[in-house]
Parts: sequence; C-alpha cells; structure tokens
Amino acid sequence: MKKHLTVPLLLLPGVGYLLVFFGLPLFLAVAGGFGLFTLNAESRFTLGHYQSLFTDRAYRDSLLFTLYLAITSTLFSLVVSVPLAALLQLNFVGKAVFRAIYKIPLIVPSIVAAFLVLTLLDLGGVASRWFGLVGVSLPKLVRDPLAIGTLIALAWKNIPFMTLIIGGSLASINQDLPYAARTLGATPFVSFLRVQVPLALPGISAATLLVFIGNMAAFAIPNLLGPVYPLPLSIHMYQNAFELNEWGLVSAMGTFIGVVSGLVLLAYYALTNRAQRALEGRK
Amino acid sequence: MNRKRPWLSVFLFASLSISLGIPLIVAALWSFIDPKNGWFAPDLFPRSYSLHFWQTTLNDGGILRSLILSLFIAVLVTFLSSVLALPTAYALARFPFRLKRFVELFILAPLIVPGLIVAVSLGTIFFRLGLAYSILGVVLVQTVGTLPFMIRVLTASLEAIPQDILLAGRTLGAKPLQVARHIVVPLARPGFIAGGLLTFISSFEEFDKTFIVGSPFVQTLPIKLWSFLGGQLIVFPNAAVVTFVLIAPILIIFFIAERFLKEDLLAAGMGKV
Repeated sequence: MKKHLTVPLLLLPGVGYLLVFFGLPLFLAVAGGFGLFTLNAESRFTLGHYQSLFTDRAYRDSLLFTLYLAITSTLFSLVVSVPLAALLQLNFVGKAVFRAIYKIPLIVPSIVAAFLVLTLLDLGGVASRWFGLVGVSLPKLVRDPLAIGTLIALAWKNIPFMTLIIGGSLASINQDLPYAARTLGATPFVSFLRVQVPLALPGISAATLLVFIGNMAAFAIPNLLGPVYPLPLSIHMYQNAFELNEWGLVSAMGTFIGVVSGLVLLAYYALTNRAQRALEGRK
Repeated sequence: MNRKRPWLSVFLFASLSISLGIPLIVAALWSFIDPKNGWFAPDLFPRSYSLHFWQTTLNDGGILRSLILSLFIAVLVTFLSSVLALPTAYALARFPFRLKRFVELFILAPLIVPGLIVAVSLGTIFFRLGLAYSILGVVLVQTVGTLPFMIRVLTASLEAIPQDILLAGRTLGAKPLQVARHIVVPLARPGFIAGGLLTFISSFEEFDKTFIVGSPFVQTLPIKLWSFLGGQLIVFPNAAVVTFVLIAPILIIFFIAERFLKEDLLAAGMGKV
C-alpha cells in the first residue's frame, strides 16, 4: 500500500458515508430552497420559496413560533440546569444514586416524554384531578396557545443533557480558584456567579447551543402536545414534503432552520473566544 | 468539608420523584387499569387493576414484531456504525494530515445540523431510489446520526493506545491488518462497548428520522407507540404498555453502558463543539 494513500483510504468509509448520506442531502436541501435540482420540477433559480416562507401568514407565524419554542425551552432548561449542575458538585447523601437516575430522560424517547406529559397534564389528566382536590384548577396545558406542555416535555428531555455537560465543565475547574475567592471574602453565591460560571462558560454555551438547535427541529413533542396553530416549521416541513410534495418550500424551511442554527453557532464561537480572551487578559 | 447535607438530598430526591417518579408511576397505573372500570375523572387512582392490557398488547403480534424489528435495526445500525467508524477513527487518532481540523468539523456536523433536515432530504432521494419505507433506508438514515458519535468515542479510545505497542507488533512481523485485528481492536474494546451500547440505544429509541423515512411501513417500537398516540383516538393503556416494553431494554443497556463509560466520555462526545 502506497504511503500517501493510507490516510485517505482509512478515512474513506466514515467520511465517504457522511458525504453521500449527509453532505449530498444537505446540499440538495439548500439548492432546493432556490429551486435548483428539485424533485419534480425543472431546475431554475428562484427566490419564490423564500418569498412565500416570509410572506405567507401561516409560515410567518410558524417561523416565529419555532423561534419562540426554541428560545423559551432552552432558557427554561438553562435556568434549571446551571443550579442543578452546581448542586451536583457538592457531596450529599445518596449522590451516586441520584447521579445514576437523573440521566434517565436522556435516553427516553421524546415520544415517551410526550406521552407522560399527556397522561399527567392533559385536560382531565391525573395532575388536574389531584390539584382539584385542593381547589386549584390547572389551565389548559396541552394543545394550548402558549405550548406550555410542549415546553415542559422539551425541558424534561433536555435538562439532564445540559446538566451533564455543564457539570463536566464545572468539575474541570481548578478548585483553588473558588477557594481563593472565598478567602478573599466572596460569599459562596458570589464565588459561584463570578468565578465558577465564567470559567464553565464553554460548557454552558455548548450545551445551550446543542439544546437550542435540537429544539428548533423538535418534531414528535410539538406534534403531540403543541397547539393546532401555529405549527412549528418541523411539522410544516414534513407535511410539505410527504403530503403536499412542495419540495422547494421544504428546502427553504430546512435551510432557514440551518441558517439560524449556524448563526447561533457563530455567536457561540464569538462568545467563547471573548470569554477566553477576557480570562487570559486578567492573568 | 465532607458534609452530608441531608436537606440537599431531600430537596433533590423530592424534585426527582416529582419530575421522574410520578410520571412513570402514572404511566404504570395506566398500563394496569381494569377495562371494566377504566380510569375516568374524577378518580384519583384506578378503581381496580388487571393485567388485561398487558396480556392483550403483548399477545397482539404487532408489538412483538415491532420489538424484534427495532432490535434488528439497532443491531444493524450498531454494526454498520462500528465498521465504518473504526478505520476513520484510526486515521484521526494516529496520523497527522492536512485538513484534519476540517475533516473533524465535517464529522461533527451531523451532530449539530438538525437530523430532520437531512432526513426529509434523504427521504425524497430514497423515494426516487425505491428505498423509501424500507428497512435498509431506515438503517442508512439512522447511521447518519450515530456514526459521528461512534467515530468520536473510538478516536478518543484509540488515541489512548501507546504507539510503541503497535510498532512492536510490526517489528515482530505482524502485517498491518494483523496489528489491527490482534492489537488495535482488543485494546479499543472499552470504547467499542461504550460507543456500541449508546449507538444501540439511540437507534432503538430513534423516532423522527425513522418516522420520516420509514413510516408507516417500517413499524419500529417508537413508531408503534406513535400510532397509539397520534391517531384519531388515543389509547392510553396500550400506549403505557408499549412505553414500558420500549424503555425497559433501554434502561438495562444504559446501566450496563454506564459501567464501561466514564462520565466524561458522554460529555466528550457531545460537549466540545
């Protein structure tokens, strides 16, 4: 075997597979959004698909609703995960058991998460019966306009994932630093907020990024629990692709999700770079 | 500083019981309800219990077929991912080459780009090729999601093998393939097991991509669960039984994988973008 062929040959199975089954469909999705190489129409450049995506009322509402779902559920998960990850750094009775169990939602299919929320929180669900005992009537939480049930199910899936990554980041901080802050008079809370959180920022932002992108494309959970109108882009994509055969529009939607994800990725790099520079500058 | 913090334990375990315990218990209750009485408002608990829905659901051949199909697909996806990942991971772990950073980013991309976009696009390509609604199509689309993770986990475990051992093997007359078979694969075994088990789980629980490429003809367990929930009438007791048939194997495999997996391996697979 020629020496200079070794690396390409070794790379071929994995990278080749991803080129064919990931790169090509991704390329076709982007091109299709501009009317190029589409399934059952001639290939001609057009901005029409984007025009209808941004002007058609149902699609515009869908864009906003998708962003609403992604942003709100990511923030919700973040607000729970950061303190939870911090608490898991402490010692407490039964820590090993807790750490084994809390990760379960990570591997439970989202459709099961949706089902659990459905049995508990749907109108007449078990939770509303229990709350009824103490005279509290729960609002509509499934297929509701604010998509609260959807947000709860998404957070239920995402919190363990975020906590795991943020916890890993917190654990890798040099423990002398929080101690130094404490010695210099910072309260535990201030030391956490001003020392540990900034040092764990790469992990926090990576987790936020991955959860946000996943939420942008969430499909099963909003489909079962979300409102009938507006629908998230993911469901419009599915319907347009396999029920209406509007492939160009599907591509435009997919590309839009991809571009927003890409922008968030860029923001992530900018943020971590700045944090890195700021930390190094203070040395 | 090694305090026990009983109140923290109480708080954390109480939160866990509410968010994880109660939903699972309610689902379990649903699976054991008695069809004579049902479970209607305002009853806080079912009036009587029976094994009726477990028996009918499990005796319905469809669930068993779905379970076998899901296991079959998960085995194929795990096998395909491992075979494709090993040489690539070896190149990434062992050789410096131009554009390496670029290749690494490209391999990471499927973890970042939403699978939905790729699945819809791939679904229409498969449609043209006659692969739509086929088991092969489902295996191929699921592998797009699992391969990057497998490559990363294997790369990490191959990087840990000392170069000396491989060179010693070569010096003693082993051919490259023999080195791969007798030294690299056995030493990378923990990575293989951990990556393989997690790949198996993520295939077994995968819904979105399978639904887009395979539904309604490829009925894996998650798709079957969907058919109980997304249809015109929601069949809670049947869905509850399928839920437990679905998550029982996942939980068992996950706890086995945890024993092979250092906590940070999962984070390393996903945490560094």
